Amino acid sequence: MKKTTERVETLAAEYVLGTLHGKARQGFERWMMESVRVRQEVWFWEEKLGALASEVPEQVPPVSVWHAIEKRLWPDIQAANDESGSSSRWLWPGWSLVATAAAIVMAVLLVQQPRPSVDGQLAGAVVQADVDDPLWLVSESGRDRWLKLKPVAANAAETGKDYELWIVPEEGDPLSLGVIPAGGVYQVTLNDEARESLSRSRTLAISLEPVGGSPTGAPTGPILHVTRLYEL
Amino acid sequence: MAEPNSDQSDLMHLLVAVSRQDRDAFHELYSRVASRMFGVCLKLAGHRELAEEALQEAFIQIWHHAREYHSDRGSPMGWMMTIARYRTLDLIRSRKVRQTGSDEHIDQMRDERAGPLDESLRSAGAAELTGCLDELTNAQRDSILLTFYKGLSHEELSLALSSPLGTVKSWIRRGLLALKRCLDQ
Repeated sequence: MKKTTERVETLAAEYVLGTLHGKARQGFERWMMESVRVRQEVWFWEEKLGALASEVPEQVPPVSVWHAIEKRLWPDIQAANDESGSSSRWLWPGWSLVATAAAIVMAVLLVQQPRPSVDGQLAGAVVQADVDDPLWLVSESGRDRWLKLKPVAANAAETGKDYELWIVPEEGDPLSLGVIPAGGVYQVTLNDEARESLSRSRTLAISLEPVGGSPTGAPTGPILHVTRLYEL
Repeated sequence: MAEPNSDQSDLMHLLVAVSRQDRDAFHELYSRVASRMFGVCLKLAGHRELAEEALQEAFIQIWHHAREYHSDRGSPMGWMMTIARYRTLDLIRSRKVRQTGSDEHIDQMRDERAGPLDESLRSAGAAELTGCLDELTNAQRDSILLTFYKGLSHEELSLALSSPLGTVKSWIRRGLLALKRCLDQ
């Protein structure tokens, strides 16, 4: 088939739109390899039709997607982490690197708010993995050794359940910081061990546990959030 | 795309760093754009698991091919959104995961262009495109938007619009050509 202008235009547009299938698609992909003009036509449509994609609302992907990407790109790191965390029934690998787009957004929001005049003030955000999940903002005072959680869109846990806050250390089992209420600000004072651990890993998690918290001292329910604390 | 230039330039720096295999930059890039890309994957796939897999594939591709980005391919954000679309379409084709329903789709499409999302249309590219979309016939516009947002094949479109295959094919083709003429003006 000859590469007439009109043919290139419509085939490129259909290629980008996604309606070109089978042999027609393979044939067109060959054209793309052969001709820069054809590629440019494809880029034209990618850019123009791509503008439609900017109208689609954002959706926060679950953290498992990032874990899967890490696992595929760097299986060596993953394997090393698996070994070091073998005493735990939980899959910690990669968690310390978790930060969703929403976390960044929330951290930025925090920056814009008036800063308390406490030195060593740090803040981070615990955010929803799914739209339905509750959301807390976290702030931390290095000097006074407390951690505060402020619910933003957090509803009470389902009947018979509580939210429990954990420090995810660089190695070993998570450290409980107690059960957090869905309403009101929750403040917890960190002991030396917790402080030391958090200062290294900078990572917190929230899990859903039976009322009163995990009976075993380790998370038993689903992990709702994992977040890094950001220095602001 | 709706991003201010400064965002695009940040993304450009991140892409350059990613092309040098900078893992931290890659993670930062993911944090910034994953939600936007996932929105598109999810809309197109209409299926959560498939959308998550497509997003994963898209980022694997970005990691390996960041250096192939250049400005002729649109903004960095646009380029990554395109990758997200293509990987989702690939998976839809290979899995034959199909959405159901028909007329409902069309209403949703119309809502999306005229509803609260209009704000994002202020960016030049989208505004230009929307102006041109308005010049198409309803059938041409619906065909193009349904295909773009829902990844429908010609056959599925023919079912959804209760029109013969040849007719929907020509709606798309003529619609796209008219769009091109309008955009070229």
